[in-house]
Amino acid sequence: MKAYLQAAIDLMKRTGASYADCRFVATEDESISVRNKVVDSISRSTTKGVGIRAIVDGAWGFAASNILTEDEVNRVALRAIDVAKASALTKMEDVVLSKEEPHKDKYSSTWKEDPFKVPMDDKVNVLIRCSEGLMTKPEIKVAEAYMQFWRTDKIFLSTEGHDIEQTVVESGAGIQATAVRDGEMQRRSYPNSFRGDFATRGYESVREMKLESNLDWVRDEAIMLLNADECPAGKRDIIIASNQLALQVHESLGHPAELDRAFGTEISLAGGSFLRPELLGTGYRYGSKLCNIVADSTVPGGLGTFGYDDEGVKACRSYCIKDGIFVGYLMSRETAAKLGLKSNACMRAHGWWSIPLIRMVNVNLEPDKGTLEDLVGDTKDGLLFDTNKSWSIDDKRLNFQFATELVWEIKNGKRVKPYKNGLYTGITPEFWGSLVAVGGPAEWHVWGIPNCGKGEPMQSAHVAHGTSPAKFTKINVGVAQ
Amino acid sequence: MIIGREKLLTILDSILASSKADDTEIFYHGENFGLTRYANTYIHQNIERNNATIVMRAAKGKKVGIASCNSLEADTLKKCLQDAIDIAERQKENPDYPGLSKPATYKDAKTYVETTARFGPIERAQALQGVFAKVKAAGQTMAGAFSNGASEVCVINSNGVKAHSTFTHATCNMVAMTDDSSGFAYFTGRNIADFDLLAMADKAIGKAKASIKPISIEPGKYDVILEPSALGELIEWLASISFGCKAFHEGASFLSGKMGQKVLGDNVTIYDDALDPKGMACPFDFEGVPKKRLDIIGKGVAKGVAYDLTWAKKEGKKSTGHSLPAGGEGQGGIPLNVIFAPGNAAEEDMIKAIDKGLLVTRFHYVNGLINPPAAVMTGMTRDGTFLIEKGEVKHGVKNLRFTERLLKAFSNIAMLGKDLTTIGAWWGDLTAMRVPAMLIRDFTFSGKTEF
Repeated sequence: MKAYLQAAIDLMKRTGASYADCRFVATEDESISVRNKVVDSISRSTTKGVGIRAIVDGAWGFAASNILTEDEVNRVALRAIDVAKASALTKMEDVVLSKEEPHKDKYSSTWKEDPFKVPMDDKVNVLIRCSEGLMTKPEIKVAEAYMQFWRTDKIFLSTEGHDIEQTVVESGAGIQATAVRDGEMQRRSYPNSFRGDFATRGYESVREMKLESNLDWVRDEAIMLLNADECPAGKRDIIIASNQLALQVHESLGHPAELDRAFGTEISLAGGSFLRPELLGTGYRYGSKLCNIVADSTVPGGLGTFGYDDEGVKACRSYCIKDGIFVGYLMSRETAAKLGLKSNACMRAHGWWSIPLIRMVNVNLEPDKGTLEDLVGDTKDGLLFDTNKSWSIDDKRLNFQFATELVWEIKNGKRVKPYKNGLYTGITPEFWGSLVAVGGPAEWHVWGIPNCGKGEPMQSAHVAHGTSPAKFTKINVGVAQ
Repeated sequence: MIIGREKLLTILDSILASSKADDTEIFYHGENFGLTRYANTYIHQNIERNNATIVMRAAKGKKVGIASCNSLEADTLKKCLQDAIDIAERQKENPDYPGLSKPATYKDAKTYVETTARFGPIERAQALQGVFAKVKAAGQTMAGAFSNGASEVCVINSNGVKAHSTFTHATCNMVAMTDDSSGFAYFTGRNIADFDLLAMADKAIGKAKASIKPISIEPGKYDVILEPSALGELIEWLASISFGCKAFHEGASFLSGKMGQKVLGDNVTIYDDALDPKGMACPFDFEGVPKKRLDIIGKGVAKGVAYDLTWAKKEGKKSTGHSLPAGGEGQGGIPLNVIFAPGNAAEEDMIKAIDKGLLVTRFHYVNGLINPPAAVMTGMTRDGTFLIEKGEVKHGVKNLRFTERLLKAFSNIAMLGKDLTTIGAWWGDLTAMRVPAMLIRDFTFSGKTEF
């Protein structure tokens, strides 16, 4: 395949491309789903293909195909050039890329236990036992357990001389109990909602979740919520658990820090960003001094960890928010060049069939000190929001609203009462400005999110967020009517 | 990849014949697709791709395995089938396994237009040049996407099912922008000749112009006109969280336990009809079951939900022809071609019927997972939100967040538009909704933003 890609690169050099890259991607995916003690589905999928980008006459073109013959790869290369020429009909200015070293390298993520080599029976039996354990009380009507694994192999060549091969293995799992009674439905999930937690690791990450040791409280809290009162509305001090805070970082910092959004090139679908380029370098205050957020594609095991992005830029670490001040974007080579900067390796594509877009990597809130229990103990009157249930944010990423599976009332440093259907809402910079405490490294965890949507046609990216629990003051909370 | 019926069936039949499983099903989806994306009034992303998805389901007794690949090469197909059989052999028995669909007759649906299939990146760019000239003349900028493609779908199984059809589709969305306002236009269909991009541009530009210098209003209850793009997103969510058999039987749907009861207003009739030629017609579902009309809500009364084969067997029903694509097996059936029956009002009539209220062009980031049994949803307005006073559109307003129980909202519909608009849905080019505009009394806006 590499020879075909190199021939295509040479062909595009000869036929007018000022820049081109070829990306071969092969992905294997295994998904196991158990529902109410029965295997709902086991599926294994493989997909292979080649995607080719070209800049011709100062504009981008892209073509992709699932047919992996030499003739087809050459056809796709020439088609990318034709598509670029069509783009050039409306060009305003030539595309310019930031200067990057043309890396030649091989990278592999690390894993101890290849999830594809773990016997299927072992995986299925764990999930069935989880489902059985969740269903031991009659209020639980649905007990689900999931595992999913990916192996991705890539080859990346460019007209600049990039020659990169990468292999990445990812694993994830989770359990969920749904309690139903009299038209009421409540859920609890572990380790996170929406199919669990994911990492760029092997099956050892699933074993470390200890799914079977967490059945009782998941089941009992789902039932407890059926009897809970509605979360009262008001302005309250709140603690946000680590898994919910990950999505808060995702929606209110990760997306608005994407420089393509800030330049308006995602505006018709996912929207723009309140973090406008003219704010960079002005000392714009995004949050309190405790707010330090980094984009780090080098974190061991993070679902946003890799060797090189899909433009061949080496994984790296850079600040987006430092001591509460907005200091940096997630960038591509093209967008970085517009600011006179270098890319920080955020261009990734969902499979061979998609163009790379600026995507979150591991976008992490740096830990400070203490534990969740310290935060609870220091709170005289507040609420604790745990595990995401719903999310929504406006198209410039200012007004957000999140609901969680469970809310705890905290009085005098203790959890005293559970509430159901709780939500909190705010305006992003005001909210992060009210950050008064961030938990320490002991409870800092990198949460993997395997389904971040962006782009047209829609792409789904694997990203992650390192977070520990944190406390915010005077936040509007309410109840989902 | 569009292969053509005869050649494709020859390839797939050969694999099917080689299967050692008790039951074998092969699903094929091939596509040739192009999309031109623009922002700041120039094309910044432009793609073309060919792909195929082949999903094989093999059953040994009641043990079922699924494998998929994306190549029609013989070795790849053989390995895919063997993977499905291997998984089945190592599976636990699934007592709910319903077997595969039986041979059936499919209604003819006009789903393929050659000119749409042949429309390429140059044609898209040339069409957009005229749009961009209009936008620039209006002193605005524009972002959006213009896509078209052709696809081929085939389902065969060891019961003798041979379902095959080809499809074309095109979609264009436009967001016209000033410094402080924006306007939206959208169209989708199977025939590229039905598209009037310049008229769409006029609509988007007009909305952006009409909403400049938006004023901020306080959240609260307002009479609201939801234009089709806004309503379409709510209906898409309802189809997913309320109108499918899984949500219904798990108690997660607002219809759970209420079949035959009055649940919404008298003027609400919702059904699914994948054979409606004005929508994105499709003659069969992903298990090869023929499509037919499914009544969901009739004059406010709960009438039915969508089933696939598995959930139909589990609940003693028949499949309604609403299975999902591969990977969605556990979700049960979901209606993918939902139609909200129209009324007889023009949008101007609705505006005149409002003393103080809002007109919403489009929602952003709707989420229906807050409290699904109560169908509570939240989301933001965008790209054209207007204040109506004393029967006239007065001002653009800054965007608002709604948080509302749709059971209540759809019991408070005062007027329904007489025209239906086709809105594309999450599940791709084989699915779309048809919805009108509507006037709802006392719709709850719970928050506001800064633009």
